[in-house]
Amino acid sequence: MKRVPIALTLLLMVALVVGCARPTPTPTPPPPKPTVAPTVAAPAMEASTPTPVVRKAVIGFTASQTGKLNVESTRQINGLTLWMEQVNAAGGLKLADGSVVLFEAKFYDDESNKDRVQELYTRLINEDKADFLISPYSSGLADAAAVIAEQYGKIMITTGAASDSTYKKGYTLVYQTYTPASRYLTGAFDLLGALDAAVKKVAIIHETDKFSTDVCNAAKAYGEGKGYEIVLFEGYDSGTADFAPFINKIPAGTEAIMGGGHFADGSTFARQLYEKGVSVKFIALLVAPPEPKFAELGDAALGIIGPSQWEPQAKYSPEAAQAAGLEWYGPTVEEFVSAYKAKFNEDPSYHSAGGYAAGLILQKAIEAAGSLETDKVKAALDAMAIMTFFGAIKFDTSAEAHGLQIAHQMVYIQWQKDAAGNLVKQVVWPAEAQSAQPLYPLSR
Amino acid sequence: MKPWRQPGFWIPLLLILVGGGVALVVRKDTLREMTFTLLMYVALASSLNILMGYTGYVNFGHIVFFGLGGYTGFYFISRHGWHLVPAALVGGLTSALLAALLGLAVLRLRGAYFALATIGINEAARAFVNNFRPFGGPTGLFVNFAIYREYGGAPQALWLTYTLLLITTLVAVAVSYTVKNSRFGLGLLAIREDEDAAMVMGVRTPRAKTIAYVISAFFPGIIGTLFFFKNGNVEPGDAFRLHMSIEVLVMIMLGGNGTILGPVLGAAAYERLRGYLLTSPLFKSLHLAFAGLALLLIVLFIPAGLVGWLRRRFPVLRRWLE
Repeated sequence: MKRVPIALTLLLMVALVVGCARPTPTPTPPPPKPTVAPTVAAPAMEASTPTPVVRKAVIGFTASQTGKLNVESTRQINGLTLWMEQVNAAGGLKLADGSVVLFEAKFYDDESNKDRVQELYTRLINEDKADFLISPYSSGLADAAAVIAEQYGKIMITTGAASDSTYKKGYTLVYQTYTPASRYLTGAFDLLGALDAAVKKVAIIHETDKFSTDVCNAAKAYGEGKGYEIVLFEGYDSGTADFAPFINKIPAGTEAIMGGGHFADGSTFARQLYEKGVSVKFIALLVAPPEPKFAELGDAALGIIGPSQWEPQAKYSPEAAQAAGLEWYGPTVEEFVSAYKAKFNEDPSYHSAGGYAAGLILQKAIEAAGSLETDKVKAALDAMAIMTFFGAIKFDTSAEAHGLQIAHQMVYIQWQKDAAGNLVKQVVWPAEAQSAQPLYPLSR
Repeated sequence: MKPWRQPGFWIPLLLILVGGGVALVVRKDTLREMTFTLLMYVALASSLNILMGYTGYVNFGHIVFFGLGGYTGFYFISRHGWHLVPAALVGGLTSALLAALLGLAVLRLRGAYFALATIGINEAARAFVNNFRPFGGPTGLFVNFAIYREYGGAPQALWLTYTLLLITTLVAVAVSYTVKNSRFGLGLLAIREDEDAAMVMGVRTPRAKTIAYVISAFFPGIIGTLFFFKNGNVEPGDAFRLHMSIEVLVMIMLGGNGTILGPVLGAAAYERLRGYLLTSPLFKSLHLAFAGLALLLIVLFIPAGLVGWLRRRFPVLRRWLE
């Protein structure tokens, strides 16, 4: 009798092992394919008008369809898919030589896992013959993918990846859509300076992961350069739930608090600051405040400022582009928001906007290059200086930080109350994107 | 007894050589990337088996050596411009040295206490690196892309890394066999069966366990350096993943704890299974839960793993399946 369970277990294991003995990874079905064939087979009677040469550009990327980055990554891919569908539905991208480029997506699930990203990008380049690459979501995954892009000489537009270090590794083909991490909180100092020149004492309390540490080190250097006194610079471990020891360390006379890390710790920190009645004039935290769920904190959320790559309220427009001396490209903020809402039945987040913007950047570069060749598109990207619904786009072309985003700015949101007393997000900085006056000082 | 005359010695080596050599012969990048992950797990499982399989000490902290060794090797590449080969060796030696120091302390613990201590070591190592400035703190370290030029370009650097990993895997398995079939290995097996009895019989258990721990730690240090060199960067979060330790443990248990071929088959099977689970709509996000379930089933019904069970069930196979 003892052999039955043994045999059963073995059978189960063998079945599972055999079951998985098929080529991994399974490619995810690509989004709707553009209809290339009919254009080529144009009716003979129309022969007098030259049939445009149709070229197909394969855009390769990985999506975190499973794992911890699933939500953000899905939104990013939604944005990218919307862009691709719009371009293809409009008949493709028409180049100066009369040819038409239609885009096709090839993507795999990276499981939010760095181990798999390199394997999958190698596959996208070698097996799926991707012409251009879009990065996965998150700095860590994008960093792993960027090496592969550079190794195989493919252009990669990164989105959802703010880390600066990726662009300081000597890459020449990787271009960043997001504002880099080093400028995440610097705008908060600019905003504070614009609101109240008398404030000088700032405490920075941040999570000690890579992203938050990079952001806060850069913010500290920037603040000190602007004459601020950093009265406390303290890190806390990821997963910290009790901030009392850190709050108790905030020296008397501190006028502003900055820092935070990710959603869970950032919102807990904001709540405990409120509960403990910490009286400061200004609080700016990373990542958590722009999330709609942050409003669940109620009064603890009121007045809290947070940097965001983009918000639907941001007022980027052709007029703002003209004022900044930049070319306007692509849809307006309203057009993007309504198209996204119509397709996905939800408000676009900055992840969605970043995904769309990455496609838009590629589109503009191919259009300007008039070609799909890497060298020409790279030259167009290096020369790019545009404003889109996502903000301004320009890349560093120096050898030290090639591809780093230098024009795009964070928008700073603040939770305020509307006429009905409901908490609403308002863009309070930069001035050209402002949707409401900042609430200052905090009344606590 | 000449090991190369024994089928139990060359069957696992041949499997690895053929499996890993295909990518080298056909020169397909996609295949190389897939096999790289597989070989990495085979080598990690085989090296952990030297401690866990032979002495019976369950080590949840194997990945510490992967992380710290990898960090050290990578540090010499990125900050001092060392070539990959000496850097990887230094990574391995650092891990071995660390194991020697740690072993003196924690190998005096037995059973659950040892297992708990190894979890603590993993967390301590992560916290240490997170605050250790020369290793870049939370930001980690990275190499400039130009570094690949030294190796004749990025593709050559990747093939070199792969070849080195294949060699490391073969050496790890060969060492595992040699240890098991040596007098020293017999001492380790005696410790696994009854440590007190082994002491009485003249086995110097603290020394034997520490040596096994040192050998077991050497290989992850090399593998870590190769892995992070291929990635181009290293961060604390990637270097000390506790669940990776657990997965390696499952691989050994699946294939056969204390056997030579077991960790090789277990790693290959688990890696394929993981690939399937992660992409299957039914099981996605559940692969760790599945790993736990598999471990439970193995421990309950076939504690000796696949190879161990086959050896017991079909004695004729004992000569072939070591």
